[in-house]
Amino acid sequence: MLLNPFKFHSPADLNEAVRLHNSLNNARILAGGTFVINTLKSLKNMGVKTPENIISLKKIREIKGISRSKEELSIRSMVTITELFESPEITENFPVLKTACRHIATNPIRNMATVGGNLTCRYTWTELGAILVALDAQMHFAGSDGREEIISLEEFFKNQARSSKILKSVSIKYEKNTRTSYQRVRKSSEVDVPLLAVCIKTNFIKKRFADTRVVINNGLEFARRDLKLETFLDSVEPGNQTAASALDHLDTSIYDTKEDDYKKAMFRVSIKNAVNEILQGSKK
Amino acid sequence: MILNINKKQYTVDIQGHETLAEVLRDTCGLTGTKMSCNEAECGACTVIINKKAVLSCITLAADVEGEEITTIEGLSDGDNLHPVQQAFLDHGAVQCGFCSPGMILASKALLDQNPKPDQNDIAYALDGNICRCGGYLKIFDAVRAAAEEKSSVKDKKV
Ligand SMILES: Cc1cc2nc3c(=O)[nH]c(=O)nc-3n(C[C@H](O)[C@H](O)[C@H](O)COP(=O)(O)OP(=O)(O)OC[C@H]3O[C@@H](n4cnc5c(N)ncnc54)[C@H](O)[C@@H]3O)c2cc1C
Repeated sequence: MLLNPFKFHSPADLNEAVRLHNSLNNARILAGGTFVINTLKSLKNMGVKTPENIISLKKIREIKGISRSKEELSIRSMVTITELFESPEITENFPVLKTACRHIATNPIRNMATVGGNLTCRYTWTELGAILVALDAQMHFAGSDGREEIISLEEFFKNQARSSKILKSVSIKYEKNTRTSYQRVRKSSEVDVPLLAVCIKTNFIKKRFADTRVVINNGLEFARRDLKLETFLDSVEPGNQTAASALDHLDTSIYDTKEDDYKKAMFRVSIKNAVNEILQGSKK
Repeated sequence: MILNINKKQYTVDIQGHETLAEVLRDTCGLTGTKMSCNEAECGACTVIINKKAVLSCITLAADVEGEEITTIEGLSDGDNLHPVQQAFLDHGAVQCGFCSPGMILASKALLDQNPKPDQNDIAYALDGNICRCGGYLKIFDAVRAAAEEKSSVKDKKV
């Protein structure tokens, strides 16, 4: 057997899932399973105690699918990376998410892994976080009293992605004149995994950056904003030298990945590419 | 519990912690599904669930009750191989054969969704399947040939 025994629960609705999650001892949520099942195998191999209860979210309809209202897009937590990639709504309005989904993991993993799992699994290097912080996404959790609790993804990451609640969905506001760029560097292994990433979102108005959000994933910490670079980009008259000058306005504490000095050089290239891509304006 | 595998119903007496790969092989006797890395990296355990290629080594069997599961045993129609299987044979796309079930199923899932894939589409669909013999060129040739075969059969029908 690959796994230690546990009790498997497959609630049909969210209330039941919340009730089980609150009442069961030593329970773990199962979404697409790409992290949980691998983790349970490793823990077993290391002789470490594993959860007694697994609560699968697979049968819960309320947390599947993508929908839009006038102002915002709602991505439910059980939407898979493939579903996000294939969604016409994402292609049309948030192409940067599509770009990221294209490069995540491998085809079978993209078919299984969910947005909720990618954001809440507490691995710092997963990728949707940087983009969704740049898009100022809000996370909608199912509170234990049945009420919805909303927190920005940026705050969630500042709290080290700690939560004992079930994530229902993520919402993003539609904005006009938005330009975005996502640059990521991979590390080769059996399956290439991300090493670092940069996402820039700006409202490009009258040929200037406005309300820019620059989000950095250095792989070691949860994705966070470089406020110094944002201020610079919002204040500058864009020109040929903007991308190069941007490199003199970085919050260096974010890029200091201690042991991996070569990453600093990769960050500089990624930031330059991102600023140039925004200036060229190919993406929405 | 009842599992729908290859359009047949299997009544199985299993526990919650059993992976689909283990149940397919050890309980249902469908040993065409291979287990290799057991870490979601190699693709040998690929099966198709609800038209998508997924990894049975990280899927709990109990979690796919009621879903439509296809393993390599479900592809041929009696003695008639599925076009993708036939193309793998015709193009020598099988060396040690360990990755073949996963490769073929991932290719079938691709062609069912996109009958005329280009080289990039094939690479994208097979990026989770590792061939330890390094036979990728022949595998890609086989997938392209299967796509042509499938579309010519379709054209003849029209
Ligand atoms: C080989 C491999 C390569 C990978 N490569 C990449 C990559 O290139 N880029 C990348 O971004 N990621 C990568 N990943 C990570 C992958 O994207 C994540 O594993 C996936 O998104 C997690 O989602 P899941 O649905 O499988 O989560 P699960 O494994 O099912 O769950 C993980 C944990 O997340 C929490 N959780 C899940 N859903 C919810 C919810 N709705 N509410 C509350 N908590 C929840 C639970 O704590 C759960 O235990 C890779 C993974 C593997 C195995």
